[in-house]
Amino acid sequence: MRRLGLLYLAAQNLRRKPFRSFVTIAIVGLAAGTLFSATLLIGSVHQSLEVGMERLGADLLVMPEGSAESGETALITGTPTSFYMDESVFEQVKAIEDVEQASPQIFIESMISSQCCTGHVQIIGYDPETDFVVGPWLEDNLNRPLENREVVIGSLILANKGESVHFFGTDFDVAGVLDSTGMGADESVFMSMDAAYEMALNSQEKAETFLEIQPGQISSVLVKVAPGTTVEQVAQRIKAGVPGTMVMTANDLSQSVTDRLSGFLRGFFVLDAIVWVMSLLTIAAIFSMIVNERQREIGLLRAMGGSRRFVFRLMLTEALMMTAVGGLAGILVGGAGLFIFKAVITASLGVPYLWPPLWYFGMLMAGTLALAVVTGAIASLYPAVSSSRLEPYAAIRQGE
Amino acid sequence: MIKLKEISKSYKVGPTTVRAVESVDLTIERGDMVSIVGHSGSGKTTLLSLMGGLTKPSTGRVLVDGTNIWTLSDREQSQLRNRRIGFAFQFSSLIPTLNAIDNVRLPATFSGALVNHGRATDLLELVGLKDRIHSLPGMLSGGEQRRVALARTLMNNPEIILADEPTGDLDEETEADILDIFRSINDKGVTIVIVTHSRAVASQAKKVLRMNKGHLEVNGD
Ligand SMILES: Nc1ncnc2c1ncn2[C@@H]1O[C@H](COP(=O)(O)OP(=O)(O)O)[C@@H](O)[C@H]1O
Ligand SMILES: [Mg+2]
Repeated sequence: MRRLGLLYLAAQNLRRKPFRSFVTIAIVGLAAGTLFSATLLIGSVHQSLEVGMERLGADLLVMPEGSAESGETALITGTPTSFYMDESVFEQVKAIEDVEQASPQIFIESMISSQCCTGHVQIIGYDPETDFVVGPWLEDNLNRPLENREVVIGSLILANKGESVHFFGTDFDVAGVLDSTGMGADESVFMSMDAAYEMALNSQEKAETFLEIQPGQISSVLVKVAPGTTVEQVAQRIKAGVPGTMVMTANDLSQSVTDRLSGFLRGFFVLDAIVWVMSLLTIAAIFSMIVNERQREIGLLRAMGGSRRFVFRLMLTEALMMTAVGGLAGILVGGAGLFIFKAVITASLGVPYLWPPLWYFGMLMAGTLALAVVTGAIASLYPAVSSSRLEPYAAIRQGE
Repeated sequence: MIKLKEISKSYKVGPTTVRAVESVDLTIERGDMVSIVGHSGSGKTTLLSLMGGLTKPSTGRVLVDGTNIWTLSDREQSQLRNRRIGFAFQFSSLIPTLNAIDNVRLPATFSGALVNHGRATDLLELVGLKDRIHSLPGMLSGGEQRRVALARTLMNNPEIILADEPTGDLDEETEADILDIFRSINDKGVTIVIVTHSRAVASQAKKVLRMNKGHLEVNGD
């Protein structure tokens, strides 16, 4: 036999005005859902930045003057780009004080054709001699340097290890697939610079489109600064010492992403705060109504032996139930919405994206739910107290 | 077992004071069957509510077995109402969201009793509604609702039943049935106080009290 517990009684009460309960739940859901998805978006972007920056492994990048925007976009979202400068820049950068490590890269925009599909990708040629980005990964995963006809690909490139991919008339074997970073590296193909130059040379005869790069051309120089100095100091020195270049620090990149995001989210959070206040007021108003509507019933429950505490708990339970259901629904819908529209959102904002670890999800869900429930508790507190204070006889009589 | 000592209850309505009950002294003994009659507005319902601790007297004391119930905590008062007193109200008093049997079981829930289905079913059978166990109050006639409410009054085996016009809007036959029930539980020692307009009901009582403009007149048989 079912127990006539608080939960059952509260649930029955919520059912008697289904539309009103639904609206309340929906408002709480909206508040919780927007908060949850916006915070999850921030968390995912930061997660991506963290992983992506670690992969990048450099404190700063030196690129040709005027390439800042496209370079930044390429690094963050993987939109292919190309710009070139002379490899003497590499030598000059390496000679700057407190540059501990420097390594050149070359960027090539390309179509990729693999067994499954074709698409735009960014080819990044690295210098195996000095590289500190792809090298460590190769050491851990492949245990040997890349051959001349081999590439390592980002996680979003639609090809598998062992398959062959085709660029500018040359076939390459996929030697490995990198872990996701959520950033541009996921949509990039890595090969050695020599392989890239050779591919360019061969494109003259084998490919429909020529690849016009020469040995001696590079796109960027990745730099690690020596301990005990600041990245900004070294950036200043490079700016002063290597004409025709611009310097982008890892911080600049993070800052740029954060700026793109906060511009979008500021309005979002203001809106969300308004919705939270609205749900608070709605719940308070609805529970004041409920107390009036149910005066007689409350009096009857008291006459049957329900204590003040019981009446108080019944009201509170109804509020907590609605807000908990609303909170959960909001989390589900908000999460699903972000999952579905992730690609659109990140593309239109130009931000990187990587789902955060499970504990982050857990904390965020618990936090959102707690906020929803606390909102319900605060909003219903006064009506719950005043309903429990009603004198049974007066309540029964007034409700007549 | 219930003693009212110099009890008054007045209400402030705007500038005037309504004296609903004035200086009533009354003792109800264990096993009594008392009826209270009087004109509408004479203070009968107020008096009954004072006896059961549903409203606080303006002056005077309500003693149940010698204890002033207004010195008890809310929890103790609630327990007293739950375990020892059964109220039957003047108007429909069922919880509309609960079906007949759940309404009947409700008092048992407050006393923490878990196994109460059997007793609730028996009581519904006693009031002749065994086949309406799962009906919601809205699906029952006024008379049927009254009978479910009566079953609920009896649920926790109260020692005292305070009934406010329990047969007020019922046909004679149903009134007689309900009166039978009251008499049989009174025979088992349950104290019963009934407010009524019905001569038939009043004639069953061992004692008839008359309320007149808040004052009590005793015309004991
Ligand atoms: N809560 C209240 N506020 C104001 N007046 C009340 C209240 N309860 C009862 N009264 C007044 O007290 C008097 C007695 O009421 P009541 O006890 O209901 O009489 P009866 O049950 O005999 O008809 C009536 O005049 C009624 O209007
Ligand atoms: Mg009355």
